[in-house]
Amino acid sequence: MRHAWTIAKNDLALRARDRSIFIIGLAAPLALAFIFNLVFGAGISDVGETITFDVGVANLDGGPIGEAFAGVLDSIASGGLLNVTVFDSADAARTAADEGDVGASFILPAGLSDSILGGADATIEVVGNIDAPTTTQVASSIADQFGLGVRTANLSVATAMATGVLSPQDAIAAAGETGTAPAAIEIGTVEAATRQIDSATYFVAGLSIFFLFFIAGMAVTSMLEERREGTLMRLLAAPINRKSITFGKSIASVLIGLVSMTVLVVTSTLIMGAEWGAPIGVALLVAGAVLAVVALMTFAGAFAKTAEQAGNLQSIVAVTMGMLGGTFFPITQEGFLGKLSLMTPNAWFMRGLGELAGGGISAALPAFFVLVGIAAVAGTIGLYITGKMLKP
Amino acid sequence: MTNGRVLEATELKKSFGDIHAVRGVTFHIGVGETYGLLGPNGAGKTTSISMVSGLLQRDGGEVLLDGQSMTTTTLAPKQEIGLVPQDLAIYPDLTARENLRFFGHLYSMPKAELSKRIDEVLEVVGLSDRANDRSSEYSGGMKRRLNIGIGLLHRPKLLVLDEPTVGVDPQSRNAILESVEHLSSEGMAVLYTTHYMEEAERLCDRVGIIDQGEIKAEGTRRELIELIGQRDRIRITATGVNDATLADLRGLGGVDNVSPTDGSLDMLVSDAGAALPEAMRVLAAHGSGVSSVTVEEPDLEAVFLHLTGKALRD
Ligand SMILES: Nc1ncnc2c1ncn2[C@@H]1O[C@H](COP(=O)(O)OP(=O)(O)O)[C@@H](O)[C@H]1O
Ligand SMILES: [Mg+2]
Repeated sequence: MRHAWTIAKNDLALRARDRSIFIIGLAAPLALAFIFNLVFGAGISDVGETITFDVGVANLDGGPIGEAFAGVLDSIASGGLLNVTVFDSADAARTAADEGDVGASFILPAGLSDSILGGADATIEVVGNIDAPTTTQVASSIADQFGLGVRTANLSVATAMATGVLSPQDAIAAAGETGTAPAAIEIGTVEAATRQIDSATYFVAGLSIFFLFFIAGMAVTSMLEERREGTLMRLLAAPINRKSITFGKSIASVLIGLVSMTVLVVTSTLIMGAEWGAPIGVALLVAGAVLAVVALMTFAGAFAKTAEQAGNLQSIVAVTMGMLGGTFFPITQEGFLGKLSLMTPNAWFMRGLGELAGGGISAALPAFFVLVGIAAVAGTIGLYITGKMLKP
Repeated sequence: MTNGRVLEATELKKSFGDIHAVRGVTFHIGVGETYGLLGPNGAGKTTSISMVSGLLQRDGGEVLLDGQSMTTTTLAPKQEIGLVPQDLAIYPDLTARENLRFFGHLYSMPKAELSKRIDEVLEVVGLSDRANDRSSEYSGGMKRRLNIGIGLLHRPKLLVLDEPTVGVDPQSRNAILESVEHLSSEGMAVLYTTHYMEEAERLCDRVGIIDQGEIKAEGTRRELIELIGQRDRIRITATGVNDATLADLRGLGGVDNVSPTDGSLDMLVSDAGAALPEAMRVLAAHGSGVSSVTVEEPDLEAVFLHLTGKALRD
């Protein structure tokens, strides 16, 4: 297997040299994630007036924080983006979200202001309807920004917020001046089936795994390129086991996948404030996803005769998996589409991250094992077929 | 080692569907010997050496490299062979040195020895000053030389070169031939395929003449030429030659063989003095315009013509 490593190193050197790996692995997903984040994430008000999200709110707080939050909702609603229904009780708000009367409900518990101003932790709950994931994300994002404002603001500005004069953005700015954070509001987003990760993370994660397909596809395309360039003949004539050729190329793809996913996780955390979750859990899910995607792409590319054909086949698989797996828009877990969705590593990766956000590392394990399972099945078949490709 | 033979190929057979590419090819190469497979395109040269190098699974026969049986999966005999494929097989994004280093690793060459050997090989193929440039920037001839360098890097007992001069300029071609002569003088056994008679004559100790998947004759240049006996070769450049002209020429006494190659006729005759006037008469009768006539000693091309009834190149 020493030769597999030699071949893997050579593959890495070649891909670094033509720079494709940096563009497809890092630059493109980061750039796209920034754009998506602008559209769906921080800059909600930029979306325009054509979209209206139905949300409910049950404000049981009665204190200044609750009022400030209502003020924020009002101002967004007056921009036409939100249609706000007010409920008297948490149960009513929950039921409305459950039954789809609203896409998502905010629940501000009684005593929220007292807790916050008293320096304790408190939670704004967002209950999302399972069939309205976008609304749920918008709602989470609003709560998130508001929470961020309060969390980073000093007590002295909390008074200003209570009057509704200070927007969360101003609060953030003020926090920059005042510095410390005495208390935190936690945003608990609870959904019937899966917990949601925040919107920035959602899109960065979705795009990352989508692009992973293109990186991973290189294992097979590089083999076909070697055939075209004639170098495959030399590899076959060399005193090395033929398995080390396929294996070496897979190792290279896995390594590249791991590195670029790691860079994506780190940079999106630092720059965009994405919250992937507990590092060990994220590492497991990333590893599982990389293995699964490399295996799937090896499988898909194995049916091709030329590098171009393989590239096309793999693009089709990547886009299909991306659509089904919820990279471009969230897919509900029910119905036929939901079942198909569960056949994609994309869906399991996202689901795993969601579970991780809500339930810790052990909650992410099932998704990890499914990913490894996909890798084992697709990889075994894929390596078998590409092995045949080496038969002259 | 078996009786001083680096390679023993016996009764090699290979078919691709209905095409019987190689039908029972047998030859051997001794230590330090240069053996040529001379034959036209499609004769089965590449298919034969692919079986010899363990690239291609043979349908029948045996390949012994240094006494060890070569298959597509046995590793030890592959260590003893250096393959230079017909088509370039180099990584264009890598420099010459990097290309060599990568393949050196695949042949498990120890690090220190590898670095030294890379310098040596670069010297042999004349790429020392361009060693650190990407090979995509090389000229066609330089790429070919790198292609050869990779094959001889690990000091194989047998170097296999598949038509290494096809499509290169005359200068590079000469450089390639010189380096093969150099390697051979250093004691490396060489298996050289070509469809250029001059190359086979210049380089090879023994030549196998291959056509349609079979070795038609084998031996030193002398032995092969003796095969056709005392004969002369006449080459006539003429226009307006048709099938009827050819038929009449072939009907002449003392004419063994007539083969048209574009714009000229190759004739193998027992006595040029007797046959030439007759031939001119036939050409004149058919209204052909003759622009030149040469009479030559027979060479391997003539042998090929004698054996197969056709010219080596088309
Ligand atoms: N992979 C292949 N599939 C089908 N036919 C092949 C293949 N390789 C070679 N052939 C056929 O076998 C014959 C011998 O080819 P080859 O060994 O390449 O000849 P040469 O090298 O002497 O030009 C030709 O008719 C060629 O078309
Ligand atoms: Mg050939």
